[in-house]
Amino acid sequence: MFLAMDFLCGPAGPEVNEMPMKKFINRPENIVPELLEGLALAFPDKLRLTGSKLIARAVPKAKDKVALVTLGGSGHEPGLSGFVGEGMLDASVAGEIFAAPGAPRVLEAIQLVHGDAGVLLVVLNHAGDVLSANITMEMAKREGLNVKMVLTHEDISSGPKDQPEERRGLVGFLPVYKVAGAAAEQGRSLDQCLKIADRMERNMRTLAVAVSTATHPSTGQPIFELGDDEMEIGMGQHGEAGTGRMKLKTADETAEIMLEMLLADLEAKAGEELLVIVNGAGATTLMELLILFRRVSRILMAKGIKLARAKVGEFITTQEQAGVQMMIARLDAELIALWDAPCDTPYFVVR
Amino acid sequence: MTGTIGQHELSQMFQNAAALIREHHAELSALDSASGDGDHGATMLRIADQLEIAASSADLRSTLHDAGWKILSVDGGASSSLFGTFFLGVADAPECDCALDCTALAATFEAGLAAVSKQTRARPGDKTLMDALVPAIASLRAAVETRKSVVDAMHDAASAARAGAESTSGLTARFGRAKFLGEKTRGHQDPGAASIALLFEGFSSALAKTKGDTANARC
Repeated sequence: MFLAMDFLCGPAGPEVNEMPMKKFINRPENIVPELLEGLALAFPDKLRLTGSKLIARAVPKAKDKVALVTLGGSGHEPGLSGFVGEGMLDASVAGEIFAAPGAPRVLEAIQLVHGDAGVLLVVLNHAGDVLSANITMEMAKREGLNVKMVLTHEDISSGPKDQPEERRGLVGFLPVYKVAGAAAEQGRSLDQCLKIADRMERNMRTLAVAVSTATHPSTGQPIFELGDDEMEIGMGQHGEAGTGRMKLKTADETAEIMLEMLLADLEAKAGEELLVIVNGAGATTLMELLILFRRVSRILMAKGIKLARAKVGEFITTQEQAGVQMMIARLDAELIALWDAPCDTPYFVVR
Repeated sequence: MTGTIGQHELSQMFQNAAALIREHHAELSALDSASGDGDHGATMLRIADQLEIAASSADLRSTLHDAGWKILSVDGGASSSLFGTFFLGVADAPECDCALDCTALAATFEAGLAAVSKQTRARPGDKTLMDALVPAIASLRAAVETRKSVVDAMHDAASAARAGAESTSGLTARFGRAKFLGEKTRGHQDPGAASIALLFEGFSSALAKTKGDTANARC
């Protein structure tokens, strides 16, 4: 497959009149297995590649604890498989580039990590992922497995507040993995883990902004188009169009617009404690992320809202797309304790 | 003689549909570039591979079941989940036996559609594969009412699927990733609907070719 497109891929391809894709890949059909192999080889103490390309913990957790499984397309590294390890996920099922994995492999992952306490399946709200997850849930039920599912859908741009099912799941998967993973590690029941994941999920909001497009690494095509001097607020994980296209603004102006929308949607009030995540989409530099975060932090201080915890970096990306996902979440004492609990994964470590 | 579809015919249908999908995969990707990320043709190539592998399964039901399970496993996002669910639904229908006459063909394919409808809220008009699948299955049912042969029934289904796929050009996407592009999706066919049309056209032309064999089909 893909033979007609080979010329688009990798620096070693033959000369053609199409613009070559500047990505260090080999054959397009090998991208996913090769990236997963690389991940497993880089972190052998934390995770391993097993079964049909599943990423699972190197050392399985005790059988009497709830296990966490997730699924999602590839091309968004370190999401989602980079968060497999102690204190977070037990297994991750990576699909093809930007495409959900099929239900049989998700079922395989659930069977792999299913102990006596059951499995929490964390699903980001995207059509393909939800479809696979729902089919998996039916299969798991027929197999007599104890599985509960939590759907993350915190992107305020993709649906109005009264239609949360329309909202996409963006970087909010990170705090959900973190607090539910910590609860599972403490030996809490599946229902308790689900409740915690659900509380985290209901109290978080994300908004994304994109300033330049990304190349689909298999097809070599740009995934969307955006003018040189434009930015788009509300851009989805795969370049899905957002709500507002506008002339490029400064970091401070961008942070103000986005944070105001997030605070309004969450109805955050003075005195409350927030977690803030500023996530780079792939090409936006840490320099820029820190400058944006600075303004977010200042605004919260001025409003009397406490910045309880923060993370700035790359947790879910879309190739070389330039842009940012800004997430805020309301924390309570229990969620803060779970957020602070130790974890040891390739791209998120708390000691 | 209205004929039946046995394992031999089904195998030919799967191989023929696989060949047709391979022939048109670049067009499917081009359609997907207008509304998605341009990889639908690649997904359909992987689905075609699985149709071909399933074609050599032992009997009619296991051919359909293997196709469903293998297609679910290709990791092609919503497309492979829905195509796989369709074939599993057909295989699980009580009417799915060693040979399908026109009545059993309509009943089993309706079961496939019901399985798909359970997994997606998309309905005709939403610019998805349902715009091709729903009319195709409806014409199988209509063929039963008018006592047509399985060959003619599948021919009608292919025509209905193609017309349904073409009708999606005038629609705005309301499902999947494409919905976020809204009006920009108008003017292009939905790639999933176009794939369903190819599938049924592949089935139809294979059945037309094996017409002479159907009278001799045995369990």
